[in-house]
Amino acid sequence: MSEVNNYAAPRSLDEAADILRAGNVTILAGGTDVMPQMKAGKLTLQPTLMNIQRIAELRGIAQAGGVVRIGALTTITEILNSALVRERFNALWQACDHFASDQLRNVATIGGNICNASPAGDTLVPLLALDAKVVLAGKPNGALATRAMPLADFFVGPGRTKRAATELVSAVELPLPPAGSVSEFFKFGTRPALDIAMISIGLGAVLDGKTLRNVRVAFGAVAPTPIRAPQTEAALEGKALVDAAIEAAVTAAACDIHPISDFRASDWYRRELVHNILQRMLVHVRDR
Amino acid sequence: MDAIVKSRADDSLIGKRIPKMDAPEKASGKTRYIQDINIPGQLYAKILRSTEAHAKILSIDTSAAKALRGVHAVITAADVPWQRPIGVAKDHLPLKRDRVRSPRDEIAAVAADSEDIAEAALKLIKVKYERLPTVKNVEDALKAGAPILHDEDLAWTRPDGKTEVLHKRSGDNVAMTFDYAQGDVAQGEADSDVVIEDVFWLHYVTHCCLGVSGVIAEFDAGDNLLLYSNTQVPFLHKREFAEQLGIDPGRIRIIQPPIGGGFGSKLDIYPFEPIAIFLAKATKRPVKLIFTREEEFVASPTRQPVLLKLKSGCRKDGTLTFRTVETLHDNGAYTSWGATTPFVMMQTFSSLYRVANCDYRTRAIYTNNPYAGSFRGYGNLQATFAVEAHMDKLAEAIGMDSLEFRLKNAQHQGETTPQGMQFKSCGFQECLRTAAARSDYQAKQRSNREKWHDKNPIKRGAGIASMLHVGGGAKIYPSDGCGTILKIDDFAHVTLITGASEIGQGSETVLSQLVCEELGLPLSVVTVVNNDTDITPWDVGVHASRTTFIAGNSAIGAARKAKTKIFAAAAEKFERAADSLDLHGGFVIDKNTGDKIIELGKLIRSLHFSDKADLVMTSFYYEPPSAHQDRNFKGDVSAAYAWATQVAEIEIDTQTGIVRLLKVTGAHDVGRVLNRLGIEGQIEGGIVMGQGYALTENLIVEDNVVRNPNFRDYKLVTAPEIPDMDISFIETMDGEGPQGAKGVGEAPAICVAAAVANAIYNATGVRIYALPFTPENVYRALHGQSKAPIWKPLT
Amino acid sequence: MSATVDITFKLNGVERRVAVAAQMSALDMLRDQIGLTGTKYACGEGECGACTIRVDGLTVNSCLMFAVDCDGRDVVTIEGLVTSPIGEALRKSFTKNGAVQCGFCTPGLMVQASHLLEQHPHADRSEIQRGIEGNLCRCTGYKKIVDAIVDAEINAA
Repeated sequence: MSEVNNYAAPRSLDEAADILRAGNVTILAGGTDVMPQMKAGKLTLQPTLMNIQRIAELRGIAQAGGVVRIGALTTITEILNSALVRERFNALWQACDHFASDQLRNVATIGGNICNASPAGDTLVPLLALDAKVVLAGKPNGALATRAMPLADFFVGPGRTKRAATELVSAVELPLPPAGSVSEFFKFGTRPALDIAMISIGLGAVLDGKTLRNVRVAFGAVAPTPIRAPQTEAALEGKALVDAAIEAAVTAAACDIHPISDFRASDWYRRELVHNILQRMLVHVRDR
Repeated sequence: MDAIVKSRADDSLIGKRIPKMDAPEKASGKTRYIQDINIPGQLYAKILRSTEAHAKILSIDTSAAKALRGVHAVITAADVPWQRPIGVAKDHLPLKRDRVRSPRDEIAAVAADSEDIAEAALKLIKVKYERLPTVKNVEDALKAGAPILHDEDLAWTRPDGKTEVLHKRSGDNVAMTFDYAQGDVAQGEADSDVVIEDVFWLHYVTHCCLGVSGVIAEFDAGDNLLLYSNTQVPFLHKREFAEQLGIDPGRIRIIQPPIGGGFGSKLDIYPFEPIAIFLAKATKRPVKLIFTREEEFVASPTRQPVLLKLKSGCRKDGTLTFRTVETLHDNGAYTSWGATTPFVMMQTFSSLYRVANCDYRTRAIYTNNPYAGSFRGYGNLQATFAVEAHMDKLAEAIGMDSLEFRLKNAQHQGETTPQGMQFKSCGFQECLRTAAARSDYQAKQRSNREKWHDKNPIKRGAGIASMLHVGGGAKIYPSDGCGTILKIDDFAHVTLITGASEIGQGSETVLSQLVCEELGLPLSVVTVVNNDTDITPWDVGVHASRTTFIAGNSAIGAARKAKTKIFAAAAEKFERAADSLDLHGGFVIDKNTGDKIIELGKLIRSLHFSDKADLVMTSFYYEPPSAHQDRNFKGDVSAAYAWATQVAEIEIDTQTGIVRLLKVTGAHDVGRVLNRLGIEGQIEGGIVMGQGYALTENLIVEDNVVRNPNFRDYKLVTAPEIPDMDISFIETMDGEGPQGAKGVGEAPAICVAAAVANAIYNATGVRIYALPFTPENVYRALHGQSKAPIWKPLT
Repeated sequence: MSATVDITFKLNGVERRVAVAAQMSALDMLRDQIGLTGTKYACGEGECGACTIRVDGLTVNSCLMFAVDCDGRDVVTIEGLVTSPIGEALRKSFTKNGAVQCGFCTPGLMVQASHLLEQHPHADRSEIQRGIEGNLCRCTGYKKIVDAIVDAEINAA
């Protein structure tokens, strides 16, 4: 049984960063993945348990210039309740609406979802399709500093990210999509929510008549991390959404994805789903 | 029971919507389930389970565990040389001695001051195994040279010191066989115009009661055992535990706390119960043992998985001619009630629809897999799945409408089946017609078929299936009876002491309802005592949908005896004929005029404080007029039988394989509706359980190990997924049933999967022979990427 | 030696001070340390909702919550809920509508329903079903639970 010797509940990023620098810290935000992972033996609690939920700087959704900043502690419910997200970031909103259950949405944070870095992470796929940047805060040289990187670069492997042990994810930033933008999200499952995605697809683009520009396609649960799909994007970029282009896109998708077989689904089936569902999504975008 | 009491219209409680009596307390969070009960001085127990599927136990070192502070006892088989094998075949030692046969096997157990300490102690126990080759499935088990799993005699040391072999060694892995025959199947086949044969696979699912398993064992100063147990068969268990301990059953008391779900999971003794008792004996302290959810998935019995081969035939006029059935049951490592599901399955094959000739054979085969127990429906889901697939296929082969084909072969009241089942009340025809009419089944069937080759990938299907199940108990034990003790006190307050347990199905409410109907009293005056073997009279247990029927008749019997006494006293007091009296609204009344004669409480007081000085206390033991089956499984095993027909309407997305159950239209022959609210709840819950069996639930057992022992990956149906449900009750007024009622607990779960299978065929033209209909399984079937189950020939 | 943390929080309307082990779950604190057994353990993984409580008005799975995280917060369990008007209304409607069979899922469901009705006082059946998607029931098939919540909604209006 792992022993926690020290419990901290800092109220500022500065304080939190100091605690991280001292080392051997388990970060507690919503905590919805901590207990299950502890039980599964995937996580051992470090001697210091740091509860970051009192850090006000990590909360809130704010728009400044052409960027929307979502604080890392923003819960899934808070995202769902945001008119801004609903109106401008449909794919993210859809993902939150199909996330777990009300009890989990009330507590799970977007920062936690990002740090957990599950290949099937529900919010991660739309964030990728929406060109999200992740912002990290830490005290590398004694002063509080932040750095940002595209979310696509942040994931290293299942459950692994480029976050240093002395850093916290402080926010995720999304550029406001230009006029005419559409974004869609689809998660495959038999339930509306409370399902781990077997495959998930995020789509973001500017729809100019029937032509797509600035296409972003992201897949979940078909690779070690959530991924952008460069070949799929290339097949759609600047193309009118006629049947032939859609066919080309779903064919290209097969090259972008690397699903595995596990007891949830076989790789063959995941490929079939990506093919059929991506096709359906593109037709839906075209015909709306 | 004699003729049905004529209910007094508006005042009658029968058929009304009666809230469950314990609902207010349960809804306040005050109810104490076994997990919530804490006995002063209790210790917490945990079990060390095998990490191997099949291995010799070379050594178990418990020294470090014993030395851990807060640990009071660590036991292994060596500490209980007198432990007695459990289970229907007595092939199962609670603590494994020299061999483990499955990954859940209990090797050691710890009692400690807290759960955390007990868990820590488990980690300190060192076990040395010598691996043995494993048996992964039935095919492996029957190969030449397969490891024989029970190749040694299993003996125990009796209290008198003598050794007794309870399970004889075997030269093969066949645990049990069942053979049944009626008529002449060869002749039946020869008479057929159409013969079809298919192999079906029915998968592993598990009960998933919300309340996990648990037990509290405590010995008192006189070495008498008090067990807090959620058993569904307290009296049978009392006897078994007495045998375990070598003591007089009278020295065991079982108290049943409110249960967090049963569904048949608590009909057998499982190792954790004797283990808790052993720990209580060793420590001389109360011992509480509660499973984790993971343990619940890994160590609880499953529904019996079945590989089933069915050959059926009919004539071109639609008459069924024969059924030949063979099944292979994966018996797992030890034998529990799953092995005896053939008792029920053969009833379905021999008697669901009229068929003169039937040959049935089951082999239950030992493997290193989890073992199956009893689970709502008890083999009938599996059998009905096959029968109803063939009913559709045969109808199609002869070009007959699927409903008409069923109506032609559905039995009528008064028929006796070749197996000896007497259908004294039978609503089968009406169930079929009602469900089909209310769902517009025939029109939908036709219209869906026409769309098979439409471009739209979303298709609709309607499928029909019926079921037959016992509805008046099942005489498989020496007695199928239930005892009641009834007391009416000086204030006309009733205490109803019944042997029948309450497992969430509302038996206490229905029994009170029946008694109050007899006595003309409101439900508010009844207290039910049903959970203490020191107080309650014997009942064989909650299974086979028997409680309303048998405990109901028992309660009515006791109430009628009380009435006789009351009328005798009133007759004498008021100089009237006893048969001119009745009870109504809390009064003794004139039966003909309805005039009130005396308030019941007043009459009872006058009887009590008179020179007669008598109280109103009665008792009654009801044994249903059913018969034990003979050695050929023939006999009228139940006092009544029940039917249901369900039409399942689905929507299927052929591009993903997702099947959505949109609506279930059910018609249930329940004899008579007693508690309308309660019976609706039973049926709705049963349908959703059937939906899970058909579409979402799958206990994945791979290399003997349960791969998804959690709710994340074992999918119960959630609220947004439920179908619309339209339920009709067919009231056939069974002559023997209490107020005409028959049992219904299992029925609603039984034919859902069968109806869904037929619906998938109706939507797509593809018939799937294996459960579950999860999206990938369905998708593969639709796109020619799966194979139908294969029957490997047996030696 | 595991750290013990002193926390102060409001529990069912009353301020409490409790010393909890740092890694203890809120569920274990409520059931084992404080003795409020109405909130149930049924999976320990946030998949079944039997452990649902309200924290600062929102519903959460107490099995996933750390006890220390209750510090400074307003916690309501089923025991507190039933003393409130909405809790009493739900208790009556759950009883009247046959929404209780074994009753094990009932406390979690009632707590979830109380939150649902506050957030969506005019929820239709389909919204109610989504609202309780995180609560598993094995006995009732959910239909009467939805009936009960609709009934409580109508009466509250």
